[in-house]
Amino acid sequence: MNRVRTLAAASFLAAAAPAMMASSALAGQSIEARVNAVRDGTVLISFPARPDVCGDGRGSVWTNGSHDGSWRSEWVCVHGPVRVSIGRSAGQTVSVRTHVGGEWTGASATETNLGDVSAPDAARYPVELARTLAGSNAGHALSAATFADGVDISPQLAGLARDDGASTEARKQALFWLGQSDAPSSELVGLDSALRSLPLRKQFTFVLSQRRDDLTTAKLIELATHDPDLQVRKQAMFWLGQSQDPKAIAFFREVLKP
Amino acid sequence: MTPRVRDARALAATLLAGVALAGITPAARAQSLAGRVTASDGTVWVIYPSRPDACGDGEDFIGHLLGNSTFYSGASSYSGNGRWMGRPCLTGPVRVAASVFDHEVTRVRAYVGPVPENHGDARVLTVSASDAVAWLSGLVTKASNRVASDAMLPLIAADAPDPWPLLLRTARADDRPRGVRSAAMMWLGAAVNEHLGIADARDDTPDDEMRSQAVFVMSQRPKSESVPVLIDAARSSPHPAARRAAIFWLGQTGDPRAVDVYAELLGLR
Repeated sequence: MNRVRTLAAASFLAAAAPAMMASSALAGQSIEARVNAVRDGTVLISFPARPDVCGDGRGSVWTNGSHDGSWRSEWVCVHGPVRVSIGRSAGQTVSVRTHVGGEWTGASATETNLGDVSAPDAARYPVELARTLAGSNAGHALSAATFADGVDISPQLAGLARDDGASTEARKQALFWLGQSDAPSSELVGLDSALRSLPLRKQFTFVLSQRRDDLTTAKLIELATHDPDLQVRKQAMFWLGQSQDPKAIAFFREVLKP
Repeated sequence: MTPRVRDARALAATLLAGVALAGITPAARAQSLAGRVTASDGTVWVIYPSRPDACGDGEDFIGHLLGNSTFYSGASSYSGNGRWMGRPCLTGPVRVAASVFDHEVTRVRAYVGPVPENHGDARVLTVSASDAVAWLSGLVTKASNRVASDAMLPLIAADAPDPWPLLLRTARADDRPRGVRSAAMMWLGAAVNEHLGIADARDDTPDDEMRSQAVFVMSQRPKSESVPVLIDAARSSPHPAARRAAIFWLGQTGDPRAVDVYAELLGLR
């Protein structure tokens, strides 16, 4: 009987050991490696969110107290972890979705929950991931990175915005989130020469317009006046029109002067 | 002899009828046309002479109404290069399809160009341009929002004196729906551009495009900022395309000063 028990215990240990060792080894791996270990299915990760970020747990996210001015009072905004679900198919990441607040519902057989990861690790990974993603996935990945607590990813965002090898959507999203970050406007303005395609330059005018300071207004006026592409000039002028800056109005009067 | 007497009587009767018709005031004739249109429910086609330049395909679009580069189809207008530009634009009378329900005009749709041989079960009233103008003016003045607004196109298309005084009154009428006043402003803006000879002005250079964009962007600003700039550009911009855009967007602001500027530019009050 003892022998049976001993064999059973040995048998259990033999079976469990590789899994335990694998688990231990995985824990030491980068998030990227752990995600890439999943060929098909969904990988879930969670990490702490910035204090000024809240969400409804279903996909709506508010930053900088923007929820306070929301017109729908029934919307609940919960400060909670950033939760990212990463869709994998045939060894490739095919989708990224970001939520703030709430919690994962019961895990299914196709889900791999990596649990809580550190914010710095979590912030770096989606920036790299976004490089090759198209459509809204790049935006989800980069928003996840920017929501991570205590991490300044603006250098990575600037690098991605400049990267000719990255997808246009990823670069547009990087520009957007860089504009929303605490990076100085001079850094934003300095990206001009690195942005050559029309979609990027049009996005550039929008991102500048959201800063609403002297430097970015001056840059918009410069683009509206001198950019080689007429579409960019018109777009810069449009966004200047949304500005409250008197210099913008003076600029329009100058353009229309007989 | 008898036949001659008969002929003479017939001639006299015809002359009397003519005299009697000539003695009817335009308002009474219009009332008569309005009464004929709404006499029974269903669709009525009212056909009358169009402006000499107006053209269309008789079934969809109308062109060369106020300038040559804008085409009208129903309540929509199209400018620039579109599918309209390549289609034959034929002269012909205006045909107004009026839908009548419960003795009231509920819908108006205008066409210019070839007249189909068959109008199906619909009634057809072929009338003079002046009668049509009097009837349509009544719709503009009194009908509901949509009918009044839609009646402006066939009113302008009639071979008759320009209806700008009526449209100016409509634009200023506080008791008319906002949509009707806005439609009047849209047509008045087009009339001003035609009157100034800039109806077909286009952005020929990048600077032209930037000026037109500046006009549009300014029009989206609060009225306190935009209206004075738009009025200045509408009155005196030396750049035709920018001036044309300023005249259009000034009308879209809904600001009462715009009507006065339009009247001034049309040489009216």
